[in-house]
Amino acid sequence: MDRISSGYRDWSGQLYPVGLTCWPIARTGVRLVLRRRLFWLLIAFSLLDFLFLFATIYIKAQINVHNPAVGKFVNEVLRSVTGSGETYRDFMFAQGTMTMLVLAFVGEMLVGGDYDRGGLTFYLSRRLGRRHYVVGKLLAISAIVALTTVVPALVLYAEYGFLTDSLTYFRENWRILLGIVGYGTLMAISLSLLLFALASWLNKTVPLVMSWACIFVLLPGLGEMLRKTYGDGRWRLLSFWGDIRLLGNWCFGSTTEREGRLVVWAVATVVAVWIVCAIAIVPRVRAVQVIR
Amino acid sequence: MTATAHDTTAPLLEFAGVSKWYGPVIAVNDVTVRLEPGITGLVGPNGAGKSTLIRLLTGQLRPSLGEVRVRGRRAWSAAAKSHIGYCADTDAFYEEMSGQAFVRTVARWHGFTGRELAARTAAALEQVGMADRASRPLASYSKGMRQRIKLAQALVHAPELLVLDEPLNGVDPLGREELVHVFTGLAARGTAVLLSSHILDEMDWLADRVLFLYRGRIIAAGSLPEIRQTLADHPLNIRISVDRPRELAARLLMVETVQAVQLAPGGDLLIQVHRPQECYRALAELICAGGFQVERLSATDVSAEAIFDYLMQTARRL
Repeated sequence: MDRISSGYRDWSGQLYPVGLTCWPIARTGVRLVLRRRLFWLLIAFSLLDFLFLFATIYIKAQINVHNPAVGKFVNEVLRSVTGSGETYRDFMFAQGTMTMLVLAFVGEMLVGGDYDRGGLTFYLSRRLGRRHYVVGKLLAISAIVALTTVVPALVLYAEYGFLTDSLTYFRENWRILLGIVGYGTLMAISLSLLLFALASWLNKTVPLVMSWACIFVLLPGLGEMLRKTYGDGRWRLLSFWGDIRLLGNWCFGSTTEREGRLVVWAVATVVAVWIVCAIAIVPRVRAVQVIR
Repeated sequence: MTATAHDTTAPLLEFAGVSKWYGPVIAVNDVTVRLEPGITGLVGPNGAGKSTLIRLLTGQLRPSLGEVRVRGRRAWSAAAKSHIGYCADTDAFYEEMSGQAFVRTVARWHGFTGRELAARTAAALEQVGMADRASRPLASYSKGMRQRIKLAQALVHAPELLVLDEPLNGVDPLGREELVHVFTGLAARGTAVLLSSHILDEMDWLADRVLFLYRGRIIAAGSLPEIRQTLADHPLNIRISVDRPRELAARLLMVETVQAVQLAPGGDLLIQVHRPQECYRALAELICAGGFQVERLSATDVSAEAIFDYLMQTARRL
């Protein structure tokens, strides 16, 4: 019997292009994370910082407009909120730290589970390739990083500009915009590659969190100890999170002279970590494990 | 790409001299086979290469040698994968999702958007009888319901080839009957169904053809009676209930193809025969000439399980 005449629905519409199937994968990943209460709990904590800054910028702008004399006093008291690059850098660093913690707990759900329980089969038997899967998952992690760091920072930047000197602020502080995007991109690429690489090998939350803690807590401590022992500041580069922050500083154009000397080393360290992560990811997507 | 861009002249699925190694281990060894519409069973002991064969045809693995083509396209290409619906044996779901959300997600991976996405999701859920329970989280589903959802996600893009890995595992008898009805319905509509199962009884009444796999090779392919006929080393066992068993037994011993005759405690005759086709002809002539009243006549070892045992015995001797 013919398939169509026997009741099969034929359809001649346009399918979503194969090359873009990484988007639905990323979307699925983000939605899965958004369903987690833990995510919202940690984000709620980090949002306190955002709300504080948002309200402070607003209050400062209002007082400066209505009562410049009081405004000077308020500016003196709230010196940390100046609309300079440091304000956004510090904000993004705090947000990024919270996001980094969240990612340690969602790594199993986003990537590890696909390996641990054979869920990769569901992806790879569809009309999408391994690179779509990898890019989709990296995009999902990057999107979470961007949602919690870049987007609120951009909101604050826009708020500061519109509530203070309007376009003059944007004209004079375009570097801040580049800093927000640059620092955000750096965090997104670094965290997504690191999380994918670790989760694809470790799969489960406990070893993943322990490894995460080693990289982001133990190594910086070790680096600081070695720096004190040998008196060489380059030992600080062992702190991967510190390296990203250093490069974030550079993106905002606010590196000190001492930090400036370490920027090249930090770039080399971060790129080396990216390469190691990519090398670790390749064998995990080259073939589906069949013999366990 | 459109959903109807099929090259229907090329074979639906073709393995041409396919081998696959994992380091020094050979999982699939020089397999050449074509799949036809209808239900085809894939049978083999653990480690025979069933999973590898399925992963090769669903484009999850590339062969070390040879080619796997689906409608003329290499199996790992997106064009080939769009012809295949795969229901894996793994239970790896995103537990927080509802059944509907999971099927919709898979439909989205297949490239459907908007109204078509919703319509396809609803149709697939309806087809497996899960439309009324699809909004519940996957974590709350029973094993049988999870199997149905897996089947729905495999059907959501109306594939030409449906690959089912242990699809009836954990399904209750009623659900089993319903799912079998879905499989046979799909096969009747022209969908090729490849069913891998370790429950050999299912193959007897479900599969039109069976592929027996052993140590990476296909050692037999065809319908069960066809395969049984090729097993010349193993005489066919026939049980006959007849009114005068001793007389028939005496006459049967004169037939060249009859190897042994035994009178069972219930009065039935158990016969071992070579070359079954010749023997059936001779038996029919004897029964007609002697005027015997036959109550029942059945071959007792043409089941998938019996054939599988014989094949394994033969294969181990090689």
